[in-house]
Amino acid sequence: MLEQERVAESAALSGRATERLTNPYLRNEFGLETIDLNVGPQHPAMHGLLRLILELDGETVVRCDTVMGYLHRCQEKIAENRMYPAVIPLTDRLDYFANMHMEHGYCLAVEDMLDVEIPPRADAIRVLMCELMRLASHLPSTGFLMLELGAFTPILYAFRERERIQNIFEAVTGARMMFHYLRIGGVKADLPADIPERIWEYVESLEANLQRDFVDLIEGNEIFVARTRGVGRMSQEKAVEIGVTGPALRCTGVDFDIRRDYPYSWYPNVEFDVITDTGGDVEAGYRVRIGEIKQSIRIVKQVLEKLPEGEVMGDVSRRIRPPEGEGFGRVESPRGEFAVHVVSDGSDVPYRVHYRDPSFVNMQLLQEILPGHYLPDVIAIMGLIDPVSGGWDK
Amino acid sequence: MGVTLPQSDPQGRPEHYLEGFRNRHGLEESGVEGNVVTLVVNPNIVPAVLATARECLQIMHLSYITVVDRVGSFELTYELLDLRGVSVRVKTAIEGEEPVIDTVTGIYPTANWHEREAYDMFGVAFKGHPDMRRVYMWQDHFDHHPLLKSFEISTKRTFEGLR
Repeated sequence: MLEQERVAESAALSGRATERLTNPYLRNEFGLETIDLNVGPQHPAMHGLLRLILELDGETVVRCDTVMGYLHRCQEKIAENRMYPAVIPLTDRLDYFANMHMEHGYCLAVEDMLDVEIPPRADAIRVLMCELMRLASHLPSTGFLMLELGAFTPILYAFRERERIQNIFEAVTGARMMFHYLRIGGVKADLPADIPERIWEYVESLEANLQRDFVDLIEGNEIFVARTRGVGRMSQEKAVEIGVTGPALRCTGVDFDIRRDYPYSWYPNVEFDVITDTGGDVEAGYRVRIGEIKQSIRIVKQVLEKLPEGEVMGDVSRRIRPPEGEGFGRVESPRGEFAVHVVSDGSDVPYRVHYRDPSFVNMQLLQEILPGHYLPDVIAIMGLIDPVSGGWDK
Repeated sequence: MGVTLPQSDPQGRPEHYLEGFRNRHGLEESGVEGNVVTLVVNPNIVPAVLATARECLQIMHLSYITVVDRVGSFELTYELLDLRGVSVRVKTAIEGEEPVIDTVTGIYPTANWHEREAYDMFGVAFKGHPDMRRVYMWQDHFDHHPLLKSFEISTKRTFEGLR
């Protein structure tokens, strides 16, 4: 009886599920015998709490259904009940591999309504921190990709580098991950006196290590090429259609980077190239990330050379009450376009905050490109999209 | 094959877009501010306006869909990017407690999950959507839409004394 009730309940949820419960080996409309495989939500290769329901024909994926919400905190609702500055530490918890970008996007959106002038030094420090954050995100994501393909070494090197960047962050902001460093109108505090030199030394050492520990180790490796070349290949049209942004879009050859095309903050003052590739597969995604690491180093050096003097906090009142209206912020996070839309009703609490997270949107790729791939390639394609649980679940 | 993007200099393009929209749909209340085109449209022509953007003006990218609960009505903002410096904001408002609007997944497939999110959080139903399930909250035994203003949370802020 209990079993029947369970079946009936599932039937209410979806007709297909009932058939699966009674007969897991079912023939689909093409006469193929397929099975459903549940991957996650707790799986070491799933980048957080993600559940994939894969319909498999032998070892080939026929259909993929993505189930999210295991880390959903409804940040947008919490933000509606807090004062403007109190939302910044929450944005840290969105995409916890790109905290600075999340803070930056939110601050830009609120500043858009306030019409406040940000001191150039504060803007430069924001760009400096965001680029260091990009390094601290791209390096481990390369390492994760290799780990998931079975190579253990790169993740150790990646985390060694990330550790050094976190030490710099700790010296600047006082925290290693959840910084709460950017403020509406500027940044919390000026850089400590020795930090510019430390950052310079660090990026110099990274430049040398990058070639030795990542590029020479990974690129051209036979197993790496066999596992990644042609895997997850998508056309430019497909990628744009699905709304993919960031390295996953640029690896198909679409030349789009918010930092250049929708310039914000201090980015117009620095020179950098937008890295693109033509492969559109996991290997191309890896190459784009390595290229972007080099560009980030370039930006960090330029900022350190040109770092303006002056205040780090604009003229913002302690109690922030933007006029009635809307503010928009858009930044290039390591995973793509992160946009914030804030609606104000004139009080000191946001009326509505909306986050557009790149992980969330890019993950729509899975159901589009997984069919036809082998089961082990699913993990490699996750490495291409590189989603972060806190991001897609808000 | 491949995607062709407009020139990198956005000079004059917002006005060109606005003219394109006006020729087809009227749109008295729309305007250009900097590199942003804002269109205020009737909810029943949203798919037509977005089809104009996609098919005629080649605006490739739907960035997000924001829903704002104005208690009694819902404001929707569709943010479109041409990937080269110009953004188009399509704003509409739906009246009523049970809002319904036509889907745009046929025009911008990326709208799929954005619309599912809007349905999940606000109960806005998108007519013609291929897969109208909740995206975050669980499917069964959960009848609420958390971002509605009528959904009270237990830790509502009590800063009134600070004012």
